[in-house]
Amino acid sequence: MNKTQFSKFVEYLLKNNNVIAPQYNVEAKLIIAELKKTSDFYMGTELPLDSWKWFLLPPKQKMFDYKGEKMTEALPSVKKQIFLGVSILDMQALTLLNQIFEQDPYYQEIKKNTIIIGTSHMPKDNFSEYFAKFEENKLEHLQFDIFLAVQNGGYKIYTGSEDGQRFLDNFKYKDYKHVEYAGPIREEGLDLQMVSVMDGMQNFHDQKIWDDLGKRCISCGKCTIACPTCFCFRMFDKSHLEQGSGERNRCWDSCFYNEFTQVAGVAPSAPKHRLMATTAQKIYFWYEHHFVRTPGTYSLPGCVECGRCTRACPADIDIFQTQRDILAARNKKKEK
Amino acid sequence: MINDYQTHNCKILKVESESSDSKIFTLSLPYKDFSFEAGQYVMASLPGFGEAPFSINSYFNEKKFIQLTIRKVGVLTSEINKKKKGDIIGIRGPYGNSFPIGIAKGKNVLIVAGGIAIEPVRPIILDAVNNPQKYKKVFIFYGCRDESAMLYVKEYPSWKKACDLNVALDNPKSKKYIKGPVTILFDVVNIPTDSIAYVCGPPIMYKFVLAKMLEKGFRPENIFISLERHMDCAQGVCQHCAIGTKYVCKDGPVFSYAELKDFKTWLSPI
Ligand code: SF4
Ligand code: SF4
Repeated sequence: MNKTQFSKFVEYLLKNNNVIAPQYNVEAKLIIAELKKTSDFYMGTELPLDSWKWFLLPPKQKMFDYKGEKMTEALPSVKKQIFLGVSILDMQALTLLNQIFEQDPYYQEIKKNTIIIGTSHMPKDNFSEYFAKFEENKLEHLQFDIFLAVQNGGYKIYTGSEDGQRFLDNFKYKDYKHVEYAGPIREEGLDLQMVSVMDGMQNFHDQKIWDDLGKRCISCGKCTIACPTCFCFRMFDKSHLEQGSGERNRCWDSCFYNEFTQVAGVAPSAPKHRLMATTAQKIYFWYEHHFVRTPGTYSLPGCVECGRCTRACPADIDIFQTQRDILAARNKKKEK
Repeated sequence: MINDYQTHNCKILKVESESSDSKIFTLSLPYKDFSFEAGQYVMASLPGFGEAPFSINSYFNEKKFIQLTIRKVGVLTSEINKKKKGDIIGIRGPYGNSFPIGIAKGKNVLIVAGGIAIEPVRPIILDAVNNPQKYKKVFIFYGCRDESAMLYVKEYPSWKKACDLNVALDNPKSKKYIKGPVTILFDVVNIPTDSIAYVCGPPIMYKFVLAKMLEKGFRPENIFISLERHMDCAQGVCQHCAIGTKYVCKDGPVFSYAELKDFKTWLSPI
């Protein structure tokens, strides 16, 4: 698909659909928002500040309405949406979320109304060995509907679902190749870099790394909001003014918040017990989730190396540097 | 699609006061054919006050009701404690794995519990009471703040018929009980170290109890620990209860010490 055809395709999508896409806002920040006109659409190597999770796993979601003792399921009412221009890194993150929220009716309700159009664009300061180079066979482990592989003068087009095929057929575009989804897990396993970081954290623990980070991190939780693979949530009830009615909700949570691991104390009057008491423990838990727990339980990368957390961090904590430090400590201890 | 967050309304059949701040709630079954195993838990909630995990403390072969012991510690638990017979509590579950009690058949059993945390192991005790021949000898080591914090006192006479019950109190008011932490009991009772051990207590208890048990010669793979964690989803998603690569809510709450030892982060994350 050449550039002119592609513009027409975007035009076509915009005509009847709610298209969410990267675009610059008035402050010249690249954000993801509803696309109003084709010319606003940004397609390139820069990653938007926030991730697509805002539109799949909203920060706050109603789960139930209650009246007296009756809890009634409250699924989100969603209109169809198209995610346009999702970087392959973010596609990996969405594929992970799809796994994690596989049994979640709220997530699934939105997901089934979402079309994903991805691209092979990668950020310039890329840290991902796996996605550094686009290869067609990587697509079969990602969930998407249409994929645009950047090539000279335009894009090579792939489809990953029947919905994707239908869109292109209706647009009367035939020059695409279909990729059948083969499940999220790659035959060859996780990329070596991810495996090494995991091994470093599990078997070559270097306390100094975490103590240093603990001194710098201010537990603001911005990284957890920015990260496309952070999805922790907490549940809470909210009563309405009318007595006995209200809603049960969930909202994003952050492992940097003090209450995250809080349980009752030994006695009613005793202070609450927090399993994570220091900042070093919290930041370790955060890295552990991305580099140990997710790869360990899902055999999928828990971090897609998008660098959003680094961009968001007021304390200049650089996730690529931390990974280098973990790898260096591992190599050093291995040599011994 | 199935919504696992949907609660089932359970009617309160009976409320009994236990200790100074806890009550036992006997509830109707959440749904027909509800069954559970020793060590599993449910999420209990009241609309407007949220949810929290509570282990099921009744006997697992009891098919007419379940029991939860709820201590007043926060908003939800205080509100539940105001509830009376005939009122409704929302329940979902059961969740989590269970204590492997099958392997203890014909063997010696040691139950170590601290304070309110005796509740998850009560189904095992009730099993021993109901099947006196099932286990060889059952020892209970129970540590508490003082007499007023002790749970299930009314049942002790029946427990004692099947179990060797030993209590240690931090600040005993009477001379009836040994003064000291629960670990003291390992030095006064001659406990066979081939026992299968089920342990549950506040986080602070584990370090000392486990050190003592290893010192006495218990094997890590014979020690089973039930962990308490902050939980929201109870299905391995929300992350609050994570330790290492495991989720206490669905891989636990029961872990063998052999398993836990490998997690740097099970007592606190590093
Ligand atoms: S680089 Fe940071 S923001 Fe991006 S996926 Fe990894 S942890 Fe999340
Ligand atoms: S953004 Fe930086 S300072 Fe804030 S919690 Fe994350 S690592 Fe800590």
